Amino acid sequence: MLPIESIRKVLDAGLTKGADLAEVYLENKESLSLTLDEGRLEKATQGNDIGGGVRVFYGNNAAYAYTDDLTEESLIEAAGVAAAAAENANNTQVCADLTKGESPVVSRIERPFEEMSTQEKAGVLRQMDEITRQHSPHIVSVQCGYTETRRRVWVYNSEGVWAEDDRAFIEFQGQVAAQKGEVRQSSATGVGGQVGLEFFDERDPVAMMPEAADTALLMLDARPAPAGEMPVVINNGWGGVLFHEACGHCMEADFITKGASAYTGLVGEKVGPDFLTAYDDGTIPGRRGTMRFDDEGAPTNRTVLIENGILKEYMWDLTEARRAGRASTGNGRRQTFRDMPMPRMTNTYIDAGPHDPEEIIGSVKKGLYAKKLGGGQVEIGRGDYVFTVTEGWLIEDGKLTAPVRGATLVGNGPETLRLIDMIGTDMALDPGRGMCGKGQWARVSVGQPTVRVPKLTVGGTE
Amino acid sequence: MDYLEFAKDVVSRAVERGVEAEAYISVGQNTSVNVDRGEVEKLSQAGSKGLGVRVIRDGKMGYAYTSDFEASSVEKTVEAAVSLADVADGDEYRSLPAPQPLPEDDLEVYDQAIVDLPIGRKVEMARRIEKAALRFDERVVLTNRCTLMSQYGTVAVANSKGIAGSYDKSFIGGFVMAMAADENDRSVAFGFDFGSRLTDFKPTEVGKDAARKAVGMLGGRPVPTQRASVVYSPMAATSILGALSRSLGADAMQRNRSFLEGKIGETVAADLVTVLDNGRLPGGIATRPFDDEGVPTAATRLIDEGVLQTALHDHYTATRDGTASSTGNANRRGHASMPTLDASNFYFQPGQETPEEVIGGVEQGLYVESVMNTASINPISGDYSISAKGYWIENGELSHPVNEVTIALPMQELLHNVKSVGNDLTFVPMMGALGSPTIRVDGVMIGGSG
Repeated sequence: MLPIESIRKVLDAGLTKGADLAEVYLENKESLSLTLDEGRLEKATQGNDIGGGVRVFYGNNAAYAYTDDLTEESLIEAAGVAAAAAENANNTQVCADLTKGESPVVSRIERPFEEMSTQEKAGVLRQMDEITRQHSPHIVSVQCGYTETRRRVWVYNSEGVWAEDDRAFIEFQGQVAAQKGEVRQSSATGVGGQVGLEFFDERDPVAMMPEAADTALLMLDARPAPAGEMPVVINNGWGGVLFHEACGHCMEADFITKGASAYTGLVGEKVGPDFLTAYDDGTIPGRRGTMRFDDEGAPTNRTVLIENGILKEYMWDLTEARRAGRASTGNGRRQTFRDMPMPRMTNTYIDAGPHDPEEIIGSVKKGLYAKKLGGGQVEIGRGDYVFTVTEGWLIEDGKLTAPVRGATLVGNGPETLRLIDMIGTDMALDPGRGMCGKGQWARVSVGQPTVRVPKLTVGGTE
Repeated sequence: MDYLEFAKDVVSRAVERGVEAEAYISVGQNTSVNVDRGEVEKLSQAGSKGLGVRVIRDGKMGYAYTSDFEASSVEKTVEAAVSLADVADGDEYRSLPAPQPLPEDDLEVYDQAIVDLPIGRKVEMARRIEKAALRFDERVVLTNRCTLMSQYGTVAVANSKGIAGSYDKSFIGGFVMAMAADENDRSVAFGFDFGSRLTDFKPTEVGKDAARKAVGMLGGRPVPTQRASVVYSPMAATSILGALSRSLGADAMQRNRSFLEGKIGETVAADLVTVLDNGRLPGGIATRPFDDEGVPTAATRLIDEGVLQTALHDHYTATRDGTASSTGNANRRGHASMPTLDASNFYFQPGQETPEEVIGGVEQGLYVESVMNTASINPISGDYSISAKGYWIENGELSHPVNEVTIALPMQELLHNVKSVGNDLTFVPMMGALGSPTIRVDGVMIGGSG
């Protein structure tokens, strides 16, 4: 991007006022997005976002300045602004030799986005639209979107780190609304990955649309969800978003080091059933949370969060790792060059357990099956969470008997994790649409097998 | 650099290619300060800029953006927008708005005092937020993410129909998470405050707000599942407004994605309910002289004493409607986004009762202080089920804290079940700016224990 001699000069400028570590982050993001609505290709947007920032550390504290003008002069100016905040520090750090890092994680873009025309990409959206409209006369609205993003990042620091990553993402999303009389219901779906155009050889965005339409149609005739405490079975795949929100966030080091998380100080303690093991793995090829290096230049890892019910490790970025005097786990991420990194999840999942998924549903006398979950939210300190069930079913005498709509799940993450009493053998990762918000947006993957929680509060209207 | 002249210049370059064109420029300075135990933990400051170009030819629209203002990059951006328009499908209602006279009222959205505020003062304000939280009560054990943000900048919009305008805007705000603990429980809560003018912002209130909520919720427990009256704090009531603002967008109505579709002229809410959108509210967070496609902002009465009057419009939805005019609600999330329809300062008109009187009118019910997962409220179906924290109301008074419960009722019924509206209108900086007084809604399903 910039000659390495220029980077050295910027790092040196960052160290001038006594900082003990200087870091340069450069980014070039290109994206194209297309939206088809009412059968028309309505919105087509293309753009480029380029910039860089300089961060300097003095002890546990950091200052950051950024610029959208990627020249040596502008970056040195940014370094000066950041360094000024370190004025009281009295280190005399010098910049180490920069060596380009290697990562075992393969950044796989076999066929670049340019090999397919915008018109051809729009053609996929037209097929998605058509198949959905033909699916049922009750479908009253179809929206489909395509986004491709290529994000290249360069990270350097005065301890000798030089890391480069090239991340390409394809995302398809669809939203369907169905109507009968006064009753309207909607359903959203999506598929994607960190991948080039070879995506189309492996995945079929058209096929997900009739399924989304079926959910909206099913919900038209669904009865209102029950309210109160009951056993809840959560589907595999995207269902893992519950673990991500309710427990994963409480294992991110920024809340841990402050003592603000429910999991602070619990490494080595039992936090779930013996048959529960969970990972955060930034190395899985092709997943949304995968990185060769994180946004601070640290190699990513397969971190064991929980092993056989015992809490093993938290997720660390550079800031928190420095605070704790240890190494980062490669979980430092930032949305853009305008943002400072923080500890974030990558691809987070509960591993397969011992129970047959059918037996899990069969074991419930009266409860709720959360077939599809929507989004959720957690209050990180305590771990209280809430989730929307976008397709729910009543379980009566071990069988799925009737679809229900408007259900919400609430509970406390660490408490729910302890309560889990069955985990299926059917571990699956989500279809590739996860976006996590923690003040900044980050692409993530989640996953889990079918899971049973014997007692959970369901918020319905009956 | 004269950004308006630059915007006009970009428009004329695009026009040479035989298209209608619009240029949007946003330039700003941002500072963010993070304080932990009095020390500056994170500090970030920088300027940023961006250009978005929208072109339309034969009803076909293309959009491209860049943060690089060099001539070659601008040229490339214009070129990209034009070629994307060629790919898009035509829509007879798609055009750019023509200029309209701009009212000259002082909107009070730019304060030189925020621009001139030295970094040291910002750090000091962040420290005051933290101190106020920690000193509020000995059970406040720590704070996290104690942040002060300030922004100021310029927006310029020009198009080939002759619109050309720019304005300056400023913002200052802060938030903090406070954690309270006693021997049996711990609880966390967020506090925040903000303003377009420096004098509107009260750092100590941010800290006190978070601490008061966190301490109050210690020992919270679910109540049994039941149907009851719910009193919403202004903050909690904005959960209703967020979804309502989307249901009231003309785009949602025209495309069959609103539970209020086809209901203009009908009674959709209790007669206590009046809903307004005012893009010219002096000092408002979402206030500005014109919207993001250059149309003057306005005050719009959407629901008047329970009767649905009109929808929110941008230039496209108004053209498509045929009889409506734009209510000045075209909005962008920065230069990288095409204008979409959004509320501005969107709020329930306050009533006469004090919040205490609203609570006092309830024999048994739930006072909801904060809510989570409001993004799940569905503007298409009207399904409304979210989680809530607050206090149980016993004989018109707040008693024990309540957490881990859900509140649910379809929006269609919820609007009709509004039984009292307080006089304490308060704004929250979400999705534009949502505002509500304390309100009471009857017959809400509370999902809790048992």
